[in-house]
Amino acid sequence: MHQLTRSLPGRLLAAMFALALLAAACGNGDDGDDTTQATPSPDATPGEPEPVPGFDGTTIRVGVVTPLSGPAAIIGLPLTAGNRVWFEHVNAQGGIAGRYRIEMVEADNQYIADETITQYNRIKSDVVMFAQILGTPPTQAVLPLLRQDNIVASPASLDADWVREQNLLPIGGPYQIQMINGADYYLRTEGSTDSVICAMIQDDPYGAAGLEGLEFAAGELGFEITTVARYTAGDQDFTGQLSQLRDNNCEAVFLVAIPSDSVRIWGAAATLGYAPRWLGQSPTWLTAFAGGDLAPYLEENLWIIAEGAEWGDESVPGMAEMIEHQEQYAPDQEPDIYFVFGYAQARAVTAVLERAVELGDLSREGIIAAMNDLDRLEFEGLSGDYPWGPPEERDPPRESSIFGVNADRPAGLEGLEINFASDAARAFEFD
Amino acid sequence: MTKFLQLLSSGVALGAIYALVCLGFVIIYKATGVINFAQGAFVVVGAFLVFNFTQTWGLPFYPSILLAMAVMAVIGVVVERLILRRMVGQPVFAVILVTFGLLIVMEHGANAIWGYTLLPVGDPWGLRTVALGDVMVRVIDLWRVTLGAVVLGAFFLFFRYSRMGVAMRATAFDAEAAIAQGISARRVFALSWAIAGVVAVVAGVLLAGGGRGVDVSLGFIALRALPAMILGGLDSPGGSVVGGLIIGVTEVMTAGYINPAYGDIVGQNFHVVMPYIVMILIMMVRPYGLFGTKEVVRI
Repeated sequence: MHQLTRSLPGRLLAAMFALALLAAACGNGDDGDDTTQATPSPDATPGEPEPVPGFDGTTIRVGVVTPLSGPAAIIGLPLTAGNRVWFEHVNAQGGIAGRYRIEMVEADNQYIADETITQYNRIKSDVVMFAQILGTPPTQAVLPLLRQDNIVASPASLDADWVREQNLLPIGGPYQIQMINGADYYLRTEGSTDSVICAMIQDDPYGAAGLEGLEFAAGELGFEITTVARYTAGDQDFTGQLSQLRDNNCEAVFLVAIPSDSVRIWGAAATLGYAPRWLGQSPTWLTAFAGGDLAPYLEENLWIIAEGAEWGDESVPGMAEMIEHQEQYAPDQEPDIYFVFGYAQARAVTAVLERAVELGDLSREGIIAAMNDLDRLEFEGLSGDYPWGPPEERDPPRESSIFGVNADRPAGLEGLEINFASDAARAFEFD
Repeated sequence: MTKFLQLLSSGVALGAIYALVCLGFVIIYKATGVINFAQGAFVVVGAFLVFNFTQTWGLPFYPSILLAMAVMAVIGVVVERLILRRMVGQPVFAVILVTFGLLIVMEHGANAIWGYTLLPVGDPWGLRTVALGDVMVRVIDLWRVTLGAVVLGAFFLFFRYSRMGVAMRATAFDAEAAIAQGISARRVFALSWAIAGVVAVVAGVLLAGGGRGVDVSLGFIALRALPAMILGGLDSPGGSVVGGLIIGVTEVMTAGYINPAYGDIVGQNFHVVMPYIVMILIMMVRPYGLFGTKEVVRI
């Protein structure tokens, strides 16, 4: 009689592996407002666009591939709401060029690169371009397909790598610029070149983009980056990384994270009694943080590096207009920096489509031609204006804004210095 | 030494969380032989319910936990009754896929109901800490360890001394024989899912407390806890605790010592890899986990 001992964990591992494989496989409107979104070249040739994929002669459809679920939905949902509010406003004015309604085709990428490819392929034939693809890793994943298919997409990601890409329509100052301006602000206010300056980054392309900016700032401004602590998205405990930073006496820590991680990093730091000056890239922030248990710690120790004005500052024309539209089309929308980005992004998309209609061609080639024909993307203070043109002529905004945490302000952020550009940021070149 | 103790403290607390999540897996596996991949979603929904009871309806924190446990127990029974019962007798892999699908459905449902922002569970622990010598220990970490021990103790007593606990063990060992002895396998299955729901509330609250808040990403902990469950033994509550502690301490110690010193060689995120290396090494010696039951088949 023989006995066989079967390993249950072994079978489970095999099942898990199969599951992992399965999971991987599944995968301006010229509206009569006095705001100008883009400045077209003067030699425009009017025409009537022919129906093409994504345009049936009456409605223009644009794709949105964004995390509608999962941890990054906390960014994707308000950002998409910003897209939607602007397009609803455009449609209320008659649509693109006052003639063609615009519709969003939304797909959930869960902030997963592979899923982004799946969703992109699923809807690409139904849209003229992508008004949003959220995230640096997802954008990187889909970029070869955009090139191959000759489709334009606007990344909701501030990586500097997008600037010279023919098929991308980035807006805003890149992460690298945020870090450079953040370092400049820190050195001008609290720190010095002798300060112990460190970074804590998500170990992926998003984190690498922020670190690239900080390294450039170190060279330009004459300080050293003492420690770079890294973590993986989804880590549950950060004591090890925080101990590393504290052991090296880091006085300022530049953080590159998304909100579901940043809240736990700051929470762990607070409970460990570690209180450096935190400088968080814009995607580290969430309005809810200003009202939670962490608020006193964050008010004391955190600056957020972002762009534009405080939510509701109606002295800024773009913000005043956005608030008006938000109250009209999304009255329940809470103040949120990602909503602002999505709104500004949709303005840029509209500028391209307006120009394409003006040139009489909404085909993929026509949209690229229209995009290259624009001289400047303007945002009325919502984001830095973007000198535009063919890829080699694009010059991203160098401005950033520094915000402190203040629970009494909308979005929990109080402007400390708004829309400034450091010399170091101006010196940064985009390859 | 202070750094070591600080990391040890955090590692034990993380391990306690892993253990609590694993206990939810184990209770169902022990009774039904099914790996419930939806356990992470149970954790999320449990924490969201506590949010509703404390924040939406203004109930005190501890009664809210009890109410959430009751609701999750019902949800567990309903899931078993409506979905899993129909899978009895089907291949294990098919059942696992069903629980995986359940995970996706519940996560999306939670997103639709509670939205995407972080919501507070109203815990009294907040960011408070106590000093043990030079080591700062979070109050919530003390609760994590304490409640982990309490739940484990309750499991031990339940399985060892209660009629239903013995019935569950018998059903897991041989369902047909158990039924022949008058044990209601249906009741056993339903109860195991109810208990998994109750444990998920404890895990969810302890994860979402301490200033973090609850959102759907809370459920990711279940995937991180898998090495602990496998290492400890799929059907062993005690193994879950030991496995959780080993994996938690390994993860935090690696992040604290190995990453800074050898990150250029082994990679800066070696703390994510190390638990799997430990798991593989232990399983090479004990393929059924530290405390798992050998499955013996006569041929």
